Amino acid sequence: MSAEKQGVKELIRREYQQGFVTDIQTDTLPPGLDEGVVRAISAKKQEPDWMLDWRLAAFRHWSEQTEPEWASVHHAPIDYQSISYYAAPSARPGPASLDEVDPKLLETYAKLGIPLEEQKALAGVAVDAVFDSVSVATTFKKKLAEAGVIFCAISEAVREHPELVKQYLGSVVSYRDNFFASLNAAVFSDGTFVYVPKGVRCPMELSTYFRINSANTGQFERTLIIAEEGSHVSYLEGCTAPMRDENQLHAAVVELVALDDARIKYSTVQNWYPGDEQGRGGIYNFVTKRGDCRGARSHISWTQVETGSAITWKYPSCILRGDGAVGEFYSVAVTKGRQQADTGTKMIHIGRNTRSTIVSKGISAGHGSNAYRGLVRITPKAENARNHTQCDSLLIGDRSAAHTFPYIEVRNPSAKMEHEATTSKIGDDQLFYCRSRGLSEEDAVSMIVNGFCKEVFKELPMEFAAEAQKLLSVSLEGAVG
Amino acid sequence: MLTVKDLRVSVDEQPILNGLNLEVGEGEVHAIMGPNGSGKSSFAHVLAGREGYTVTGGEVRFDDQDLLDLSVEERARKGLFLALQYPVELPGVSNLVFLRESLNAIRAARGEPALDAATFMKVVRDKAGQVNMSPELLKRSVNAGFSGGEKKRNEILQLALLEPRLAILDETDSGLDIDALRVVADGVNVLRSPQRAFILVTHYQRLLDYVEPDYVHVLSGGRIVRSGDKSLALELERRGYGWIAGEAAA
Amino acid sequence: MNAMLEPVERYRRLIDAVAPSLPGDDAGWLTSQRARATEHFVRQGFPTRKDEAWRYTSLERVLEQVWAPNAEPGLQPATADIAAFHLAKDAVARLVFINGRCLPGLSSLSGLPAGVQLGSLHSALEQQPERLAPWLGQAAQAGVSSFTALNTALIDDGAWVHIAVGTKLAGPVELLYLTTGPGTVAAHPRNLVVLEDGAEATVVEHYASLDDTACFTNSLTEVLLGAGAQLEHARLQDESAAARHISNVFVQQGHSSHYRAVGVSVGGLWSRSEYHNRMQQTQASCEIDGLYIAGDAQLTDVHLDIGHAVPACTSRERFKGILLGRGRAVFDGRIRVEVDAQKTDAQLANDNLMLSRDAEVDTKPQLEIFADDVKCSHGTTVGQLEPEQLFYLRSRGIGADDARRMLCLGFATEVLQACSVDGFRARVETRLQQRLAAGAVMGNSGE
Repeated sequence: MSAEKQGVKELIRREYQQGFVTDIQTDTLPPGLDEGVVRAISAKKQEPDWMLDWRLAAFRHWSEQTEPEWASVHHAPIDYQSISYYAAPSARPGPASLDEVDPKLLETYAKLGIPLEEQKALAGVAVDAVFDSVSVATTFKKKLAEAGVIFCAISEAVREHPELVKQYLGSVVSYRDNFFASLNAAVFSDGTFVYVPKGVRCPMELSTYFRINSANTGQFERTLIIAEEGSHVSYLEGCTAPMRDENQLHAAVVELVALDDARIKYSTVQNWYPGDEQGRGGIYNFVTKRGDCRGARSHISWTQVETGSAITWKYPSCILRGDGAVGEFYSVAVTKGRQQADTGTKMIHIGRNTRSTIVSKGISAGHGSNAYRGLVRITPKAENARNHTQCDSLLIGDRSAAHTFPYIEVRNPSAKMEHEATTSKIGDDQLFYCRSRGLSEEDAVSMIVNGFCKEVFKELPMEFAAEAQKLLSVSLEGAVG
Repeated sequence: MLTVKDLRVSVDEQPILNGLNLEVGEGEVHAIMGPNGSGKSSFAHVLAGREGYTVTGGEVRFDDQDLLDLSVEERARKGLFLALQYPVELPGVSNLVFLRESLNAIRAARGEPALDAATFMKVVRDKAGQVNMSPELLKRSVNAGFSGGEKKRNEILQLALLEPRLAILDETDSGLDIDALRVVADGVNVLRSPQRAFILVTHYQRLLDYVEPDYVHVLSGGRIVRSGDKSLALELERRGYGWIAGEAAA
Repeated sequence: MNAMLEPVERYRRLIDAVAPSLPGDDAGWLTSQRARATEHFVRQGFPTRKDEAWRYTSLERVLEQVWAPNAEPGLQPATADIAAFHLAKDAVARLVFINGRCLPGLSSLSGLPAGVQLGSLHSALEQQPERLAPWLGQAAQAGVSSFTALNTALIDDGAWVHIAVGTKLAGPVELLYLTTGPGTVAAHPRNLVVLEDGAEATVVEHYASLDDTACFTNSLTEVLLGAGAQLEHARLQDESAAARHISNVFVQQGHSSHYRAVGVSVGGLWSRSEYHNRMQQTQASCEIDGLYIAGDAQLTDVHLDIGHAVPACTSRERFKGILLGRGRAVFDGRIRVEVDAQKTDAQLANDNLMLSRDAEVDTKPQLEIFADDVKCSHGTTVGQLEPEQLFYLRSRGIGADDARRMLCLGFATEVLQACSVDGFRARVETRLQQRLAAGAVMGNSGE
């Protein structure tokens, strides 16, 4: 056993593989946040007045709020005045055509496994690359435009499609929603905008790759996806950051709107820098994600694989407004080292015959702490609402922690609601069985954990499921002990 | 006793039965066979009054009454009994209480007085003995934690106790080992009488080795496509269902 | 917060007023315990819905009026009147409390074996307060909640049960708490149940009303179990429709001890019961089953706080609720497994039957786990009667209403069968039948 433990220790020190820094000149706002900063960001984006007014309203609201404390996470106070709210590779504002993109950026993304040149790209996947505060490239725009799909940086959408942005921005997550959503509304610098017109099945997977590069900056992106009647879209985001000793703040907002019979599948593979084994550095990932199933029989599905970040605080939710709407949440969250995650979902049943499914798999290793927090609310008019929730936690190591905090509120007797949760460690008999068949302990754990997460992985778009499995294995290497 | 005329039934607007005709007289044993999805079980459940089936046409008469007009419990009280393929578990509801409530409800409908506790116990013990059921199972919650065989035995016990005029056995033989199958078959044979008719819904003719039917019908596509005597069952066993469906389509 | 200040001040004055009349005021440990509790209560005030433990439960009904503690009963019931409340036929001892005061005339304590001390806490504190010093207040840390602090500040009367090493009681001890007018009445009974190593007992607590007077009961029971001790603890809250009731049970378990509880709440306008279990020595186990029935205008609230502090303990909690009319139910169950409490095996279940359009259920089962070698689970359901089950019963000739009643009773029976006291189970079943008959049990669609 001691030889194994030794091996384990070495593996725990295994470096975060995406922790490099791109040496590139940036245009950065000095640290600090006041109205002037909000105006400066808006000006850099050449935004119309209505956008600036909205930001300022959000900023004023944020200034009166205090940070929420209810989550099962602990961190030193965040000094919002020491963060820079805007950093962009200095080249030219706005997305350029690919041949105009700084080769260093192309190289960065290639190194991360995300080639931006369309001929090298993963077949069938369009990418919006967001580097620090701005979108640096968006691929396959032309092909998507042929199908009528708008896929661009949100800053571009504000200028090019103001009527859509005006109609939908903040309609799902208002700038008053919570502390971090208010902050985001005030200072968001970029993000992705997707519009899928009526009846269109988006011809390819859409994805955004978020990269934080600069030190002392926060990333505040905002994503808005609108699926008109009968349309389908599948979207995936990935995120990484360099290894730095300071914590960095990432406070994003994602809004999804699905109209009648529309279907949005939103997948996340989150691999922000988690900090070192002592808990130094890493990203604070405080994110508000919400989908509004506005139309009848609309369908929103969230799938997330969360392996990174020092702290994760996010609850991708569904408001099931339309009759027959369906909401789903599939989550794998891994915490090791000193990582903390407080994640889950809210399913708000408003329409008749609405259904929701929640599958949450938490894995805590080392000193990691993992909490599932979820709300299922069946409002009085939600006839025949159905919910099934399954939350399982797997513990690896006697200093890890796993918590489950479900809130279930039922106001309609025709509802049928089932919630199950289990917590256990990997069975000794399972390990023994695998090892007696010749597997190493590492491989056995990896195999068992992958099995544990299978229900969630099968929800990921095929191109990414294998990626997620690999990521999980890497992130668990050395976690056995 | 039972007359089914041109019965048409759908579930969620999908037609399941498409003009089914059947005549069952007193004391007769009919076997209804057919491939999976042919509508056999649906037919059994429609007769018992299960919700979720929409009768879109035809009629069913039971002793000159419109059966389809009666509630589930009224049908039971008139003497119709459905033994389920998957008997339902009722956690916390004592099997004895269940059997007594049920028997007394049916006796009341027949104009008979309720049995007092002592008489009921004697009757139920006797019947349990007849179907080889352990008295221990009487004290437990209805079907909760019963094995597959025990559940089926409990169904046959109810059949013996409630003494229906028409008993429908919905795939009661499925999933049984040979001993349990014998119990079911013996139960039916013992309870066979000139006043009591049976409809045996089954996929295989295995049960028919033990219970000899008067008539065998083949259900396919929601209609009875062929009727005969027990030799039809043997032919089906030999040749499968394909040839009949083919013939029916032709 | 400000809205809550006034009641706190009212209670502070009340504590000051009754303090001189409380028993055991010459025992320093007790007076300082009361003083600490008072201080804590005043500092903390009453909880509001911003407190996580009170998120779904408003205290408005409790704080809207002044409840006078230990009010003299308007009438003294006769022994014959009390008999109707008895649950355990084979009780070895009975204590009867009216408006929080023990009435020896109605109680029967004869025939207890040697090694059993049983009686009024008030008398014990007057006669031999030092005897209680090792235990009183040990399980219920005053810091826990305002109502616990308030009860401790007002410690006056209740039941005092002490079972010596290895002593086993032949039948249940029955404790009956009655309230009666005139006027509004408050009772803060404080019970202390101590089972020394290897002792075994059954204790029944029964809360009921002699009339429809609005009353407020704030009861607190401390249970301390020695090594290998076994307690069966059955509790029934069957108070009048105007009653406000909060009860806190604190259990401290020694090595290999076993605590088995059945808690039933059927009465009251506003009722909350809390169980706080601490398994402090290895191999301890607890099983808590409960049933709540909430009908028109009733709120019923259950909080469980099950603490596994040491390795190799087992806990099983199963609560079921039946909601009728405009009934509201809140369930908040927490299992907490501390660092190093390895080999913990804990399961929590909460199932709710919603039988009316206007009922509401809020349920929150929680697991907080800081050890890895554990098996923990919780499950929750909210729903109606199963259509398949109704169909099955009806297909055997049983009428729809009877079928529904049978299924409801079956649902409750699964919990009640954990109780060994026949009379207790029978009383709850009767209450349930009455409640189901009173409010027609809602059918499924189309009926």
